Amino acid sequence: MEELILQLKQEIIRVLNLEDVTPAGIADSAPLFGEGLGLDSIDALELIVLMEKRYGIKLKDPAQGREIFTSIRVMAEYIHANRTK
Amino acid sequence: MPQVIRKYCHVTHRSATVNGKAFPVAEVDGEGKFLTALYRSLKIDYPKFFKMDSLSKLGFLASELILRDEEPRFAPREDVAILCFNRSASLATDALYQVTIRRGDGCYPSPSLFVYTLPNIVTGEIAIRNKFFGETSFYVCKEWDVQQALRMAGQILCDGRTRAVLAAWVECFEEACEAFMMLVDTENQPGIPPEEIAFSTSKKTTWKN
Repeated sequence: MEELILQLKQEIIRVLNLEDVTPAGIADSAPLFGEGLGLDSIDALELIVLMEKRYGIKLKDPAQGREIFTSIRVMAEYIHANRTK
Repeated sequence: MPQVIRKYCHVTHRSATVNGKAFPVAEVDGEGKFLTALYRSLKIDYPKFFKMDSLSKLGFLASELILRDEEPRFAPREDVAILCFNRSASLATDALYQVTIRRGDGCYPSPSLFVYTLPNIVTGEIAIRNKFFGETSFYVCKEWDVQQALRMAGQILCDGRTRAVLAAWVECFEEACEAFMMLVDTENQPGIPPEEIAFSTSKKTTWKN
């Protein structure tokens, strides 16, 4: 799980162009939206694309994303349980 | 009173000037990294910059160079308009977006690229950053014509609300990327004579990015 969390942080930094952010600077349980990383709605769409492209997970219900993208740890746990690649 | 140029700036792949004088930029970390170096030199804390496409980065940085000494900064204003021109619209980002659609390993259209597939997004980025609620417009034309830009700025300044116009050429396609921006108003006579400004789009600026 810790390896997946680190990989996920690296992917998010790359995909969302978080220039001044390092994996160590993202707390596993910090909120991704609002406070924490302060991501926006376009970032949420990029995360949905990342989930499908990198891990083979299709999110059909946008409301589902709201729960999954609570924090890096929650996201990693969901990926671990549902990934197809 | 006629509209006049109060201030102007020019940004290319390797230099930035304000009113013809070089703006010092810290060490550039690799080819194609000048805009990031300029961002750092301006000491801006605006992470959204890194999510912008090159066209918006250019326009954004030009506006920062022009407005950095203006007071008050970031107070909501309805009396500032933004008027931009370029030759290639958002074609560079359109092409990048198309690649995400037709990629061989699956079709994953990029939402963050899609939002920049309109050239007038740059006017929105500048307006959001500065809390400008005035008129914004973007025109696609072959060349920059300072007299035409001044005339159009003058028309906007006649609306009874607008007191200043940011008028700019912001172009980024293939190897031609540069921004020229001027702050136009009617209150700072006599202003900078347009004939003293050496900027033309007829000579292509090359940029290996």
